[in-house]
Amino acid sequence: MPMDAAFLRNFAIIAHIDHGKSTLADRLLELTGSLTAREMQAQVLDSMDLERERGITIKAHAVRMMYTAKDGQIYQLNLIDTPGHVDFSYEVSRSLASCEGALLVVDASQGVEAQTLANSYIAINNGLEIIPVINKIDLPSADIARTKEMIEGAVGLDAADAVPISAKTGQGVPDVLEAVVKRVPPPKGNPDNRLQALIFDSWFDPYRGVIVLTRVFEGTLRKGQKIRLWSNGRVFEVETVGVLTPKPVEIGELRAGEVGFFMANMKNVADTKIGDTVTDEANPAIEALPGFEEIKPMVFAGLYTVDAHEHTALREALEKLRLNDASFFYEPESSAALGFGFRCGFLGLLHMEIIQERLEREFGLELITTAPGVRFRITKTDGDVVEVDNPSKWLSQSEIAKVEEPVILATILTNEEYVGGILKLVEEKRGKQKSFEYVSSSRVMLQYELPLNEIVLDFYDRLKTVSRGYASLDYHLSGYWESPMVKLDILVAGDPVDALSIVVHRDFAYERGKALAAKMKELIPRQMFEVAIQASIGAKIIARETVPAIRKNVLAKCYGGDITRKRKLLEKQKEGKKRMKRIGRVDIPQEAFLAVLKVGEGS
Amino acid sequence: MAMPLGLYLSVPFCRTKCSYCNFASDVFSRAVFHRYVDRVCADIENAAGITEQMGGRFERAVDSIYLGGGTPTVLDSPELERLFVTISQNLEVRPGCEITVECAPGTLAPDILETLLHCGVNRVSLGVQSFVDAEAASVGRLHQRTTVLDDIAHLRAAGITNINLDLIAGLPHQTAESWEASLSEAIASGTPHASVYMLEVDEDSRLGRELIAGGTRYHAHFVPDEELTADLYESACQRLDAAGVCQYEISNFARAGYESRHNLKYWIRQPYLGFGLDAHSMLPALDPGVEAVRFSTPDALEEYVAGGPLRCTAVTPQAALEESFFLGLRLTRGVDLDALRAKFGALDGFDSLIAEFASMGLMVREHDLVRLTSRGRLLSNEVFERFISVL
Repeated sequence: MPMDAAFLRNFAIIAHIDHGKSTLADRLLELTGSLTAREMQAQVLDSMDLERERGITIKAHAVRMMYTAKDGQIYQLNLIDTPGHVDFSYEVSRSLASCEGALLVVDASQGVEAQTLANSYIAINNGLEIIPVINKIDLPSADIARTKEMIEGAVGLDAADAVPISAKTGQGVPDVLEAVVKRVPPPKGNPDNRLQALIFDSWFDPYRGVIVLTRVFEGTLRKGQKIRLWSNGRVFEVETVGVLTPKPVEIGELRAGEVGFFMANMKNVADTKIGDTVTDEANPAIEALPGFEEIKPMVFAGLYTVDAHEHTALREALEKLRLNDASFFYEPESSAALGFGFRCGFLGLLHMEIIQERLEREFGLELITTAPGVRFRITKTDGDVVEVDNPSKWLSQSEIAKVEEPVILATILTNEEYVGGILKLVEEKRGKQKSFEYVSSSRVMLQYELPLNEIVLDFYDRLKTVSRGYASLDYHLSGYWESPMVKLDILVAGDPVDALSIVVHRDFAYERGKALAAKMKELIPRQMFEVAIQASIGAKIIARETVPAIRKNVLAKCYGGDITRKRKLLEKQKEGKKRMKRIGRVDIPQEAFLAVLKVGEGS
Repeated sequence: MAMPLGLYLSVPFCRTKCSYCNFASDVFSRAVFHRYVDRVCADIENAAGITEQMGGRFERAVDSIYLGGGTPTVLDSPELERLFVTISQNLEVRPGCEITVECAPGTLAPDILETLLHCGVNRVSLGVQSFVDAEAASVGRLHQRTTVLDDIAHLRAAGITNINLDLIAGLPHQTAESWEASLSEAIASGTPHASVYMLEVDEDSRLGRELIAGGTRYHAHFVPDEELTADLYESACQRLDAAGVCQYEISNFARAGYESRHNLKYWIRQPYLGFGLDAHSMLPALDPGVEAVRFSTPDALEEYVAGGPLRCTAVTPQAALEESFFLGLRLTRGVDLDALRAKFGALDGFDSLIAEFASMGLMVREHDLVRLTSRGRLLSNEVFERFISVL
C-alpha cells in the first residue's frame, strides 16, 4: 500500500564543515530507529575513507526514515545528505532541488560561514522551506542569541523559530523531527503522470554497475520499466528499485515525491549525468526538469608518474576512477621534461587533491603534479577562438588578439579583525569589490570578483594564514574578464622546462618570475657545474638566478678499510638522484614542479 | 707468491669523545679494557679459522700493522704489549714491517713510549687536527699546540721520526689565517707525513647532527661554510706540495718514500685483516667465482666482546672492478687501465665515462693512465657514483 504523499517529507541538511551535520544525521537515524546504536559506526553517511578522514562529504546520499510524529501519524522522511564543498556546488544544487525543505545547521559558537550561506541561497532560490537549527548549545562558548542575529543578518531568514540542539548529547533533536514534519511541505506531483525523475547522484559499484540516486517528481519509476535519459537519449531497462534505510532495501517502485535508487544495467557513470531527467521510454514527459548543466572542469593540471614505467598503471587507475567520477576528465599529454602523462581537469582544487590522493593511496602510484591552472579563451588575430588549459599549448604573442580568463564571484565571511589582511590579499589577487557588509556587529561578509587563475595558485592557504583560519570562502563562476595574460617560462641551464611554465597576468609576470626563479634556486641542488635559472616571457629574460657549482663532495676518512660503507654511501647518493627528474644535464627534484604554488608563501 | 697482509687493530677507547667523531670509539670504563684485549687476542689466535670461515684465503706474512682508534695509547703498557706478543706468536711479522700507532697528543707518557719502542713501533700518527688552541678546544681535543711540539720532540729523541700529523679543515672558528698558521706549524715541524681531512657532516657525530639541525651547540654556527672548507683544503694541497710533502691520495701527503704502506693497501686493494670493534678485512676469496671477501666485526662494544657474528660481503668481479676505480682514483697516480684489463677483461663502457669526466675537467687520461684532477678530487663522490652499478 503506497504512502499518501501528504505524509512524505524530503529534506537536506546544510552546514559548514564541523558544524555537526553528520552527527545530527546519525542522531536522526538513531531516533527514528533506522539504525540501532549498536549498528552505528560513527558518521554512517560518510562511507568513503577519505570522507571520514577529512570530515567532509564528497558523495550525496539519501536515507529513508519512518517516523511516528506527535500527531500519531507515521511519516516517511527522506534525508538527502549533500557534499559540503564549493567544488561540488552543482551537485549540491541538484540535491537541494530534490527536497522541499532544508535544515540550516549553524554552530552556536562559530556562527554562519560562507559555505552555509551559499548553499542557503541555493535552497532559498529553489523555494525550499528552511529550518534554522542551532547546534552545539552544550558548549560553554555557545551564543544562541548572536547566532540567531547572524542567521537573520547574513541569510535573511527569520530565526525566531530556530531549533536549539546539541547533536552530540541529543538535546533538542526530537524537536528537529517535529519541525520537519510541521514546516516542510509535502511533495507535489502525481504518480499517474508521465515519469519525470531527477538524477542527483550516481556511482559505480564493481559488482552491480551504476547505482543512481533519484527523486521522482512526476509519475512512477518501476522495476522492469524501459527508461530514457533526457540528455543523451540512451534507453535502459530498470532492474532494481530501492531505498536506503541506510541499508539498501528493494521495493517495487518509487512514486512521485519519493526518493530512492535504481539500477538499470548501466556500465558508465558518464551516462548518468547529475541533474539529468529520467523519463519513460514509451510514454515520455513533455519536457525535462529544469536546472540541468553539463559539468565542466575548472582547474587543470598535468599528472605524471615519478617512475616512467608506471605510466600504464596511471592510465588504468584514471580509467577506473573515471568510472566513478564523471566530473573529472583526462587526456594523454607529453612533456619534454616529465615524459608521458595526462592533462586532467577537475571541478576545483579539493577535487584535484582527492583524485591525487586516491591515485596514490588506492593505486600505490607516486605522482608529480604540475601547477594547476585554468582554461583561457583566446581570440586569435585571425578571429578564431580557442580554449587553452595547458601553458605548453599557449600561442605565440603575435597570434593572440585577446585573452579572456574565467572569473569567480567569491563570498568571504570573516571576523572584523581579519578584514584588513583579507582586503590586502584580494587586492593583490586582482579582486574587484562587489560588496562589503556587516552581517552582525563583528562579522563581515565580503564579495569580490576574482580571476580563478589567482585562486588556484595559493589563495586558500593565504586566506587561512591572514585570517588565522577564521574566514570561510565560497565561490561560483561568474564570467570572463579580458586580461593581458602571458606565458612565463622557466629555463634551467638554458633549456625551457615545459612542465614549469605558467600563465600569469602581465603586470605580475616580473614579480612572479623573480620569485619563481628564486624558489627554484632553493630547490635545485648544486650540480657539478653552475646552473642558470631564468624566467622569460617569449624571448625576453625577466629574472635570473644562479645555482653555484658544487665545490666538494668527497669522503676523506677510510675507517680502517671500511670500503663497504663507502660503497653504500655512493649507492645512496646514486639512488637519490634517480628519484629526481633529469632535464638536460640537470637533476631536478619533484618538489620543484610544484614550486609555483609556494612562491607566495611568507610574503 | 701470496701478498703479505696488513693488520689493523682497533682500540675504540678515548679519554673524551670529540664532537666531530663519527667512529665507533667512545669513552669506556677501564674495566672493559682487559676483557676487550682478551677478545682481540683470541681472534688473532683464531685468525686462520675466521678467515676460512668467511671464505677468504689466509696468509701468515704481515708487512704492516696499524693500531688505530680511538686512542690506542689509553691502554696501559701490559695490554699493549699483550697485543703485539699475540701477533708475533701467531703471524709472521716480516722484517721492515711498518708498525703505526695512532696517538692523541699528550698521551705519550714515558712508559708508554718505551713500550711502543719495545714492541717495534716505527711510525706514529698524531691527532693534532689544529695547532690553534681555541679551535682544538672547541671540538673537545684535550691538547694544546705546545703539547704536540713536545710529543714530536720526545718521539724523535726516542728514534721515531716517521711521524704523521692529522689536520682537519672546517673546524669551528677556523679562518683562512688560522688554517695558514696550522699548516705552517705542520710544515715547520718537519714531519714527513700529513693527513688533511675535511670535516664530515653526517648523522653519526654530535657536531654533524647539530649542523644538520641548524643549531648552535658544539660551536656548530662557527663552522666554516662549504666554500671556505674547500678553499682551506686546496690551500693545504698547495702549501704542503710546495714544502715537499706531496699529495699522494685525497687526504694523504708525504715526503718521497714516506707514504703509508698500510693505508695504500686499502686503495690498491691489497689484503688486510682487521681485529677489534668495527674492524674490517679484505682477502682474496677461496671461491673462484668471487674476487674477494670483505667482512667486519660488530660495531657495538658489548656485542663484539661477547663474540657477536661477523658480517660478510662477497665481492664479485664486477664489484671488484668498480672498487678498483673508486678506490684507485683516490690516488694521485690514478689507475692503470691496462692493468685492470689484464685482471678483469675488457672495460666496456668506462671509456666514454672517462671521456665525459675528462671533458668536464675532472679527469686526465694519458694513454692507459687515468687520474682525477684536483677539482676532480674535491668532487670525487660525484665521479665515483658513476663508476658503480646499483644492484
